[in-house]
Order: sequence, then structure tokens, then C-alpha cells
Amino acid sequence: MPDVLTLSLLVRSALAALVPALALLPGCQPRHPASELVVATNSTVASVDPVDITTLAGMQLLSAIGDPLYAADAKGQLQPRLATALPKLSANGLTARIPLRQGVQFHDGTRFDAKAMVFSLERFRALGKMGYLLDDRIRAVRASGPYELELQLKRPYSALAALLSSINLTPLSPTAYSQHRERALADRFVGTGPYRLARKSPQKQTLLPFSNYWGPATRNQGIHLVSLSNSTALFGALVSGEVDVLLSQGIESDQQKALAERARRGQLVEAIGPAVEIGYLTLLSNRPPLDQPLLRQAIALSLNRALISERVSYGIRAPLRSLVPPPLAGSEPPAWPSYNPTEARALFRKAGYCQGRRLTLPLTFRSNVPADKLFALTWKAQLERDLRDCLQLEISGMESTTAYRQLEQGAFPMILLDWVGDYPDPDIYLLPMLGCQKVQGSRCLEGNAAAAGSFWSSPGLQKQLEDSERLEGLQRQTLLQTIQRRTAAGAAYIPVWQVAPRAWAQARLEKPVFDGTGRLVLQALSDR
Amino acid sequence: MSRRRHLLRYLASRVALMPLMLWLIASLVFLLLRVAPGDPIDALLGIRAPVEARAALRQQLGLDQPLLVQYGHYLTDLLRGDLGTSLTNNEAVTAVIRDSLPASLELGVVALMLATLVGLAVGFSGIARPEGKLDLGGRLYGIGTYALPPFWAAMVMQLVFAVWLGWLPVGGRFPTTLVPPEGSGFYLLDSTLNGNAEQFWGALRHLVLPASTLGLLLSGVFANALRLNLRRALDSDYVEAARSRGLSERRVVLRHALPNALLPVLTITGITVASLIGGALLIEVTYSWPGVAFRLQEAIGQRDYPVVQGIVVVVAALVVVVSVVVDLLVALLDPRVSF
Repeated sequence: MPDVLTLSLLVRSALAALVPALALLPGCQPRHPASELVVATNSTVASVDPVDITTLAGMQLLSAIGDPLYAADAKGQLQPRLATALPKLSANGLTARIPLRQGVQFHDGTRFDAKAMVFSLERFRALGKMGYLLDDRIRAVRASGPYELELQLKRPYSALAALLSSINLTPLSPTAYSQHRERALADRFVGTGPYRLARKSPQKQTLLPFSNYWGPATRNQGIHLVSLSNSTALFGALVSGEVDVLLSQGIESDQQKALAERARRGQLVEAIGPAVEIGYLTLLSNRPPLDQPLLRQAIALSLNRALISERVSYGIRAPLRSLVPPPLAGSEPPAWPSYNPTEARALFRKAGYCQGRRLTLPLTFRSNVPADKLFALTWKAQLERDLRDCLQLEISGMESTTAYRQLEQGAFPMILLDWVGDYPDPDIYLLPMLGCQKVQGSRCLEGNAAAAGSFWSSPGLQKQLEDSERLEGLQRQTLLQTIQRRTAAGAAYIPVWQVAPRAWAQARLEKPVFDGTGRLVLQALSDR
Repeated sequence: MSRRRHLLRYLASRVALMPLMLWLIASLVFLLLRVAPGDPIDALLGIRAPVEARAALRQQLGLDQPLLVQYGHYLTDLLRGDLGTSLTNNEAVTAVIRDSLPASLELGVVALMLATLVGLAVGFSGIARPEGKLDLGGRLYGIGTYALPPFWAAMVMQLVFAVWLGWLPVGGRFPTTLVPPEGSGFYLLDSTLNGNAEQFWGALRHLVLPASTLGLLLSGVFANALRLNLRRALDSDYVEAARSRGLSERRVVLRHALPNALLPVLTITGITVASLIGGALLIEVTYSWPGVAFRLQEAIGQRDYPVVQGIVVVVAALVVVVSVVVDLLVALLDPRVSF
């Protein structure tokens, strides 16, 4: 059948012609101007309205187009930003006055003043998905002068400035949002930040410098924030030069290690920010067998954090023995004991195990978080090696949202979770896990500790937590350490590791800088 | 009854059944989403918000209402053509679909064209020497591409062509620094109509890898289907009769065997088109292609009920329409098909 063969040859020739065509495509690759930088992460941004934003990627974007009243610097110290000084508190601590910066403009050219700040805070309280940040603390907001904000607090709160550093509380132009007082505006943003939002889709946001910005000018001519959905794509995009800066969120540990090695060889520049995310185990303390404090303490002693950190993340997730990540107040010295299999065995024996009786304990991990699964597998293997006759783990995975819903029902004897503080203060790490409105002995019947799945409390702990909200300085630090020591003794929570954000930039760029909340300072990105 | 009347009756029955089918699908999705543990508040806030704050947000979004009330609202809105608004950003679900459907269709159409071209070429190439090297290669190609896990194939393509060779972008649908073309949402078409070559090449470069991966993976099915049916047709009596009448082999193959061999391929194409309307999930996710499947996967993760429901219902409706069209086309082309 020569004719047919000729036909097939023709088709194959046509296919072969596609190859050179494909080879031509790279030549058509559009190059972005060198002064505009492409920054990649793994999360999409569905909305740019502060009332909608709950994700780290959204907050990263907000930090470039908005300004908070206060901001934590790289050392974790709070500095006034749109405020000009720290809050002045009344004698009873229930009224705070905040002087505001003058001469600040919104991206639409209108003036920033106390009324605009009141508008934004009221709107956030009414619509904010994270409105609880203010609801629990603030009774009322008003403008006590053209450039002075007055807050009525529900109870004294020494970390008010830290709370007001939350980027979701960034001011918005009342003029631009006049039609959106009662509903969110997902695809436009008019704030006061160093960049204005030029274009936005969930996967891509273009930021251009705001020429009337009150602060230092940006060191680049624009930022393109892009989202790629998987770790390999993000890694590949940086290596191939398609993106200029890559954020570590969503990058697998082995790829993070490879990027760090490239940075060591001078092919990339690596920056590490302060850890704001912690990983911890929650133990169900109100039901057997973990209602025995001895057993919980034994489990805490049996966790070889250093080994697990190395095996799971090549040491990238640093071992943590405190619920508050350093350098926040109360994080040092670590309250939880370090790995001690001998002491763990002694406690297991005291509880009636290790003598021909082995404790079998279910451990749940979030199946959609790769590091969690690796943790579960590694810890199980470590226990098999070190405490085989005392403790055995039965590990199982569950999708995170499904797991969150079942926490308050006491569904998990032991589960690995993580926590990211909404603002840089110890309270935001302790209260959500330890707060309890109704305590019975060492059980929490109602409150955060019950919702968090541990159901653990201790007489007087809630009072200490409330006191820590009022105190400042060394007094507060001492009390925070006491709270952590008590929590460590209760061992219903076991901190495992802390996750510091990282960024890798092309070698031609300056080393990226993080602020005190672990966000990349986009306006500081520039060529060498 | 005449064949034409049979056909019309079949069409009428499918159209009449469509609302019932859509109601069943819509109800099933509604129920399944609510039965699964965890809701949008758990997905949005995780464990960070106090219990009272989560309850307040549930109330604000109407998720505290009894299931039947929510279902009633949902069906009423659906009948009015209102698919609701996203719980994550208050965007109308119709807008979400309007933005993401063209991306999936553009990818699907180009991938299908490639799959057809390659599949037919490979399927055709072995017929000269059955069991020969070319035929064996074609069979292996068909089985191999069918068996390849799509995400693995996509990652390998990504690694080779984007990371190692640097020829093509790693992912996304359009160059970061360019403004996407306005219009129908089909970037190749819109940039052509706008006469903007930079936009066209930008869109094409981003399309090449995902479309090639998807096209090559699909092409194996076409190749095998054509090869088998062409072989069967060439062995049939009517082809033998044509040969005995002295017709050239080219004419025998192209005029007599191929049209008959292509009918099953058409059915396969129809099924493939229908499945591609909902997007090629693993391809879209691997290449960060902002299509319907990518958006659906995100919405499921976020428990964004209205978006999931809206996408499923719209895609289901389109699939039903396409499958009816394909059935009719096959019936028109093949007189042996009866209803």
C-alpha cells in the first residue's frame, strides 16, 4: 500500500515540522523590564478586600498595598507607621488615643485622617471574616480629633499596638469604598501603601509604585505577584529564571534544600524571616488513656525533635519547645522537656506500661500537608526504635478542613496541627489554645481549649492569661513563662517545630528582607 | 415510523429529561457538600477563630439555617438562573464560570486537535504492514500514553521543556507582565482579533505545554481506536469487493474503509469533548491553568458551596448538550444506528 504509506509519511512530516516551530517559541518569550520583578508563591488571592483576606498570600499582598497603624520591624520591635506614636492609655486602661500621621494620601488622591481610620475599622468589624480580632477587644472607635483616633477597650490590653499591626486593619479610602460600606470589594483596593494595585486576578496581581507615598520610595518599578499551584512548578520557575523571587510557602522540603544549596553556591540569594508558624501536637486530655498526665508527659519526653526535623525537613523546620515562637516574649527558656527516652520509659512504667503491656495510640495528621505525614511516619519509626515495648502509634490521615470540624467533638486522641499568629504577640499563640470559660479540675468544659481539641485547663490558668493581657515588660514576660511551664507540665499540647518563611532571589538581586511578621518587604526588592 | 421521526422523538425525550437530570445533579451536589464534615468557615479560618466568632460568621453567610431552608433558597435561585455568589470573595458564580470556562475550552479544543492529528497519524501509520515495526510502535504508543499518569507526564514535560531547556513557561495562562486581551476569554482568538502579535505569542507559548501534554495523552486512545477499526474495515467484505473491482488501494482506504473506521472514533471524540468541558483537572492543576477544573478544585478545598454547585450544574448541562449533539451526529452519519 504505497499510497497509504506516502500519506502517513506526509502526516509524520507535518508533525516533524512542529518541532522547529516549538523551538522558535522561546525566541518570542516576552522579557519583563529589569526594574519590575516577578515574585511567586503557591496561593491564589481571591479577594483584595481586607475584610475577606484570611490567607498568608493575601496578607503578603496587603502588606505592599496597605499600611497598618504599627508594624513590627525585622527585630520584632513595633514601630509606628500610620500612627506617629504608641497608644496613650487612660488610667483605667480602657481608653486608648492614637495620634495619626498627617500628609498621607490614599491611592485615589483623597486624604487619610482619623475619620478614614474609623471608617475602615468599623467596616472591618462589620464585615471582616477575621472580625474577631477586634470584637473581643474593642468596644467603640471614634475620631477624637482630625488626626487622633480613640479606641474604647472592653478590657485593658497591653498588646494593643501589636493588635493594630494586623495588616487586615489597614485603612481604606472612604470615598472609594462609599458603595462598599456593607459589602466587600474583591478586585479593587484603594489604600495608602507604597504600591497601588494596577491589575488583579486570583493568580496574578500587578503592583505599581504609588508616586504620592508618604514614606520611602520603592526600590523597584513594580511587582508582579504570581501564583503557581505546585512546588515543582515554583521551583522550576525560579531555576529557569521565569520568576525573580520565590517565597517558601508550599515548597517541598527537598526543593527548599536544593534552593538553599544553590544559594550557598552563589547562584541564588536566600533570606530567612522570623518564624510565625508553629507545629504542635494536641492530646485529648479528657478521655482515657490520655487523661493521665503521666502518659502525656511520657509522650512529650519521647519526641525526638532534632531527629524528626532533620528527617522530615533537613532541619528547615527548627525544633520548638515552646508554644510561643522566639523571639516573642515568654518564649525563652523553652518550657517543654527535650527528648529523654529513659525518663519517658520510667513514666510509662509508672503508668503501668512497658512491662508486657504496650500503649497503642492513634495519631492523626492532615493528609493535605506533606510535612505532617512525614512527621507521623518518622515519629512512628523513632518510637519503634526507642520505645518499642512501651508505645506504638497508629497513624491515619484526614483532610484538614474535615479534621478542624471534629476537633471540638474530641475526635482525635492525638493530632498534629499548626498555628500562625495573626499579629506578633504571645497572646495570639496562647489564648486560642488555653483560654477557657468553664473549668472543672483540669478539664475545660467550654472555651478555646475545648474547641482546640485538648479540653485541658488548670485552675487559675484563665486568670493568669487575663493578667498577662494587662501586664507589660518584665512582669508580663515572667507571667508568660509561668503559663508556659504550667502548660508544659499538663502536656496536653506538645510543640514540635517552628517554620520560618524563606525567600530565594536571583543572584543579581539584593538579599530579600522580611518584616517582623514574616512577610517579605516587597518595596525593598531591587537589583544589586 | 420514519427514521427522522425516531430521531426527533429521541431528541425531545433527551431535552425533556434534561431538567430532571440537572435537578438530580444539583441536589446530589448540594447534599454531598453538606454531608462532608467541615464547612466554609472551617476552611477559611481553620482553628484560629474563637467558637463564637465562627458561629457569627456562619450566621452571616446563612450557613446556620436548616438544611431544607438552604436547599429551598438554592433551588429557587437556580430556577431564576442565579447561581449565587462565592463565599470566599462574594464574586458572582456566573462570573467565576465566565472567567474560567473559556480557559478550559481553549485548552480542550487545542489538545483535542492535537490528539486527533497525532492519534490519526499514529493509527494510520501501521496499516501498511500489520504486525510490522511501525504497527507495533503505534500500539505501544497507544497503550503507553493511555497508561501514563497525567500529573507525572505533565511534570516531566514541565521539567524538560520549561526548567531544563527553558523553552516554554512553567505554568499559568498568560505572560506575567502583559495585559490579557479583552473579549471572549479565548486568548488566542481575542489576540488574533485584536491583531496583537505579542499577546498571541504570549498566549500560545503558555498553551503549548498543557495542550501538548493533554493532546499526547489523549492521542493514544484515538490511535488505538482508529487502528483497530481500520484493520477490521480493511478485512471486511465490502473492502474486498472494492479491491476486486480494481480500485486503487488509496481509494479503497480513504473512500471505503476510513469513513467506517472513523465512526467509533467520532463517538470517542464526543465522550472526550464532554469530559474536557469540565476541564482536565490534573493538567490544569499541574500547569496552574486557570480553568474550570482548577477553580473547582480550589472551591472544593475552600468548601465554597455556591461555586462548587454552580460549576457542577453548568458543566453537567453542557455535557448533556454535547452528548446529545454527538449522538445525533453519529445517527446522521451512520444509517445503521437506530433509536
